[in-house]
Amino acid sequence: MSAMQLFFGRRLLSCQSLRSPGRSLLLPLGFVVALFAAAPLLAEVPNAVAPTETYSGDQVEQPIEFPHDIHAKVNKINCMYCHTYARRSKVAGIPPTSKCMGCHTVIATDKPRIKKLTEYWEKGESPKWKKVHDLPDYVHFTHEKHLQRFIFDNKDMKVENASEVCAFCHGEIKDMTVAQKSRPLTMGFCRRCHEQNKGPFDCWKCHK
Amino acid sequence: MSLQNILQDWSKYRKGNEEGGFHDYEHLWGLAIDLNKCIGCNACSVACYAENNLAVVGKDKFAKHQEMHWLRVERYWDEPDLGEQAVSDYQSHGASFLPMMCQQCMAATCEPVCPVAATYHTPDGLNAQVYNRCIGSRYCSNNCPYRLRYFNFYSYYEDSWPAPLNMQLNPDLTVRDKGVMEKCTFCVQRIRAAKDVAKHEHRELQDGEFTTACAQTCPTQAIVFGDLLSLHTAGKAESTLSTLWRDQQVELGRTEQHKQNPDKRGYRVLEGLNTDPKVMYLERVREV
Repeated sequence: MSAMQLFFGRRLLSCQSLRSPGRSLLLPLGFVVALFAAAPLLAEVPNAVAPTETYSGDQVEQPIEFPHDIHAKVNKINCMYCHTYARRSKVAGIPPTSKCMGCHTVIATDKPRIKKLTEYWEKGESPKWKKVHDLPDYVHFTHEKHLQRFIFDNKDMKVENASEVCAFCHGEIKDMTVAQKSRPLTMGFCRRCHEQNKGPFDCWKCHK
Repeated sequence: MSLQNILQDWSKYRKGNEEGGFHDYEHLWGLAIDLNKCIGCNACSVACYAENNLAVVGKDKFAKHQEMHWLRVERYWDEPDLGEQAVSDYQSHGASFLPMMCQQCMAATCEPVCPVAATYHTPDGLNAQVYNRCIGSRYCSNNCPYRLRYFNFYSYYEDSWPAPLNMQLNPDLTVRDKGVMEKCTFCVQRIRAAKDVAKHEHRELQDGEFTTACAQTCPTQAIVFGDLLSLHTAGKAESTLSTLWRDQQVELGRTEQHKQNPDKRGYRVLEGLNTDPKVMYLERVREV
């Protein structure tokens, strides 16, 4: 887990996500290497055991290719700045276009993606974002409880590092452009984490 | 590891009542229904349909006993000994009404017969039904002395809520598909929501903080919902409901009540079967 490994691991991951729409031959190899490199990279959240399983979800075509890496990694914007409902409700929420425009009336207005966004804004419409992490209807999941346990009630955890907790279930989103499902989000996945972190073990806590 | 956990806890859940009950109850949700106050308006039933995404099956299927009402209001004509006389007199006497929802038995007969552990006893003292686990064997329904479990014989969602009615579905619980057993949950989604709020505010759940859809809707307030834990465990806070049970001298864990004051009207339906239901009814008193 040297600094080199860390650096290369991250770089490989980001290359993969940038190139993935092209699906070149080198890609699977890159992905395998990235996986190996990613394993020790899993965020170390104090007082929590992180899940280790990975999953390769489909690439979802979004109306605008939203670069999570630029926002969360380069500019270090907290996940909860845009996904503001995560800390107080069941769903994390997708920010309204007005939130995007709060910055992008000034920042990077000449970029093609921002131009597209501005078009939406001027028409008074919102981009029809597609859901990437979807749970079945019979599952009750609340972001609020999980954030409370792993961030706000967790004394040794800094809110600035919230993305490490998000990465438990969403993977290294800050290395992706468009978010992609990278954890299985199955019952077994939830259960193993609940066992390790002493979460509730009652069917009706999660099934509705 | 997971399987081991399930099996260990499962036997704990299953043996619960034989060994004096599930020992770590967090709550013990129960009801009290005053039949003197019940006017048989069926508002509770309607509220239940709205709250719990119950399918309207239509006349034909209703006639075949394939109805899906979790809460039904049963009608009884008085003085059955009088025979036809009673029927002809019913307008002056009127019917007696008995709202029947899942009795959330402490020693539930439905639980031990499920082959796949889809129904079990929760730490809240409820008989849970886990829909995505249910395989539709219907053993539980056949073993329920109250006939309060309902089976999805069809995919009712296909025509029960023609657009735009589907917009009124409650997102807090599943719309069940065919082949799944379902029953009254004491509005577990409301319990869950109230608990979430209480936990977020770092406090205990308060008595009367929330109630079930039927109790909320009842125009005469005949239905009272609450926590019976103080009846079961010493040193727990007394709720309105447990005061009511105590006042009526109705106790949990009995097959027969021994009342100091026989004028008290509280009783439980079919308690002689040792199901230990958590719904108490207050007998209707009428003038002769």
